[in-house]
Amino acid sequence: MAEEFPFEISPMYEGERVRKGDMYVELGGSTKDGFELVQVVDDPNEVEDGKVTLIGPDILDMEEGGFYPYGMIYKVAGEQLETDLEAVLERRHHEFQPYMQGYMHLNQRYDIWVRISKDMIKNGLKSFEQIAKATMMLYKNELPFIEKMEAIYITDEEKVKEELAKAMEIYKARDERARAMHDEDADVFYGCTLCQAFAPTSVCVVTPDRTSLCGAMTWFDCRAAAKVDPEGPNFPIEKGECLDELKGEYTGVNEKAVELSGGEYDRIMLYTFMEYPHTSCGCFEVIGFYMPEVQAIGWVDRNFPAATPNGLPFSSMAGQAGGGKQTLGFLGIGIQYFFSPKFLQGEGGWTTTAWLPKDLKDRILEAIPEDMRDKIATEEDATDVTQLMEFMKKVNHPMVAKWAAEEEEEVEEAAEAAAPEAAAMPQMPMMQPGMMPQMQLPAFAPSGGAAGGIKLVLKNANIKVEKIILKKKE
Amino acid sequence: MTTIVISGKGGTGKTNIAALLVRILSENKLVLAIDADPDTNLADALGFPVTKTVGDIREGFLDEKDELAPELDKQSYFESRVMSIIEEADRFDIIAMGRPEGPGCYCYANNILRAVIEKLEGNYEMVVIDTEAGLEHLSRRTVRDIDLLLVVSDVSKRGLDTADRIRALANELNIRVKRIAVIANRVRNEHDREKLKNMAEKMNLELIGFIPFDEELAALDLDGLPLTQLKDDSPAFEAVKDLVERLDLN
Repeated sequence: MAEEFPFEISPMYEGERVRKGDMYVELGGSTKDGFELVQVVDDPNEVEDGKVTLIGPDILDMEEGGFYPYGMIYKVAGEQLETDLEAVLERRHHEFQPYMQGYMHLNQRYDIWVRISKDMIKNGLKSFEQIAKATMMLYKNELPFIEKMEAIYITDEEKVKEELAKAMEIYKARDERARAMHDEDADVFYGCTLCQAFAPTSVCVVTPDRTSLCGAMTWFDCRAAAKVDPEGPNFPIEKGECLDELKGEYTGVNEKAVELSGGEYDRIMLYTFMEYPHTSCGCFEVIGFYMPEVQAIGWVDRNFPAATPNGLPFSSMAGQAGGGKQTLGFLGIGIQYFFSPKFLQGEGGWTTTAWLPKDLKDRILEAIPEDMRDKIATEEDATDVTQLMEFMKKVNHPMVAKWAAEEEEEVEEAAEAAAPEAAAMPQMPMMQPGMMPQMQLPAFAPSGGAAGGIKLVLKNANIKVEKIILKKKE
Repeated sequence: MTTIVISGKGGTGKTNIAALLVRILSENKLVLAIDADPDTNLADALGFPVTKTVGDIREGFLDEKDELAPELDKQSYFESRVMSIIEEADRFDIIAMGRPEGPGCYCYANNILRAVIEKLEGNYEMVVIDTEAGLEHLSRRTVRDIDLLLVVSDVSKRGLDTADRIRALANELNIRVKRIAVIANRVRNEHDREKLKNMAEKMNLELIGFIPFDEELAALDLDGLPLTQLKDDSPAFEAVKDLVERLDLN
């Protein structure tokens, strides 16, 4: 460390609060624009290592007690660096900057709130350049794969606005990339034992496609928490070998299940309801319940106080199935799981869902495939199983075909590539290839009322259909 | 850092005592006042009404968690929200915990909150917490080690009974409390003193002070005025000051 700074740099100053009376200036915060951005530059020649550029007034030109805009942009280069690491690097900014004594740095991205203490000035702080240099020194010490780093600090109001607008686009693109991340892309999943006091055998497995049951922890949160506190309640789970892609069974998860549940469970399938489902803690936002009468699943959230079609309210089911148990027929989930492409993938996804409270349905409507939206009842359509059955028949719910399949004689016809022309039928949900080992099309009767009709059963089909249009013969 | 928790039966005037303590202690030390009783208002008594509470932030966080950017550092986000609701007086800061939890899951939010509060407390020489007799925030571990648990009683057997229960609860919760003591408030005469002293002795409670009934304080209370207006020579003020000196808190 060749550089000498007029302030101490140490992790012990982390969490230091600069009170209003002790502050020299406030930067960003609730009154002024502020942001921080780390950008990976592919061409190392475009980064001048150690360089600091300041656009706008320097610290000593600022009025004591004043509020100013603040933008901090860092350009980094290194052989091992790639754009995907930008968010990870940027997160460290909030870790490193508070190491400076007298420098309060809160929040992140476009919400940063910084205070510089009077003591810092008194002890000899003269320029933002010193702040930038200390920050870059910390980065390079801690993350040696950063080969070159330069900083651009901005305090000019107009320029901050301009660069902030550009940064917003970068954050947005980053968020889109993060949201597009799936279980297949991750090397590790994470476990969470935060609620084990209430659910001692719960094995909460958090993956990119599956938030925690309480809805509070995403895969990204767990990754960050595990890094900060390796002994804490969040830890990596090596995926291991994938035993079943469709149902989401991984050797690593199974091993962890044994360990976390104290031997109670040794298999967990992440994307199923009826086969070795995920354990349910006491904290889940929504519970799903299988209704054998209609061979379909209903979901209810904590805010819905009344009984569901199976006669039980949220609280009773939560009491029965919660506590960290793996209960066939019940499954606690976080609301975000509805939006996951892996949602009940093992059972055919949304086609098995028949009931949701109205408020919850409205909230997650976007998650429901368009052709299923009218087929899922709410309390306005059905409050008991009989009503639900009627509703499902009326809207021709995909599960209705299953009932028919069991009642009627099996007349199987292998499906060929060509779509048969028959009675009017709603569009089929879009399938992904290889995801449906067995699929049954609903039985349909000609609208004339004559008995008969046909039933199609596709077994081990591997087809991709965007739309099937069935028309009655003229 | 020294942590003092004020608790006691409702209506004993514990918030007034807490406010006087903050006022007196902050003459020499930097104090963080935590209002952890949703029923009362320490901040009002100190003349710095707070508009937002930690509870509001926690609820807001639980409501908006699904919309937050996926890679956002939630702890730092939460921390900055908490920091933004702190009221800063000259020599002390105030933060209000606000309403208790609703029916949802608070494991994660409270876990973050614990870390944030712990970090915040490290900035002060003294932390004074006004909390209800149920000690909810202590059971949630948003507060860790306590140097002094001061239970305020009025001139009543029930006030002492509550003190007894709080002591039992504190032991049950497994929080480290260095000292638990009782002070009696609104004491009118020698007869009150003697009676309380005897009862406390029988219950094995350490009764360490008497705060006399104070006309001036009662008048401020009646008008909802802050106790920062209470004169330095009023009997209640002097009694609390005397207590601070005897306990060597200055």
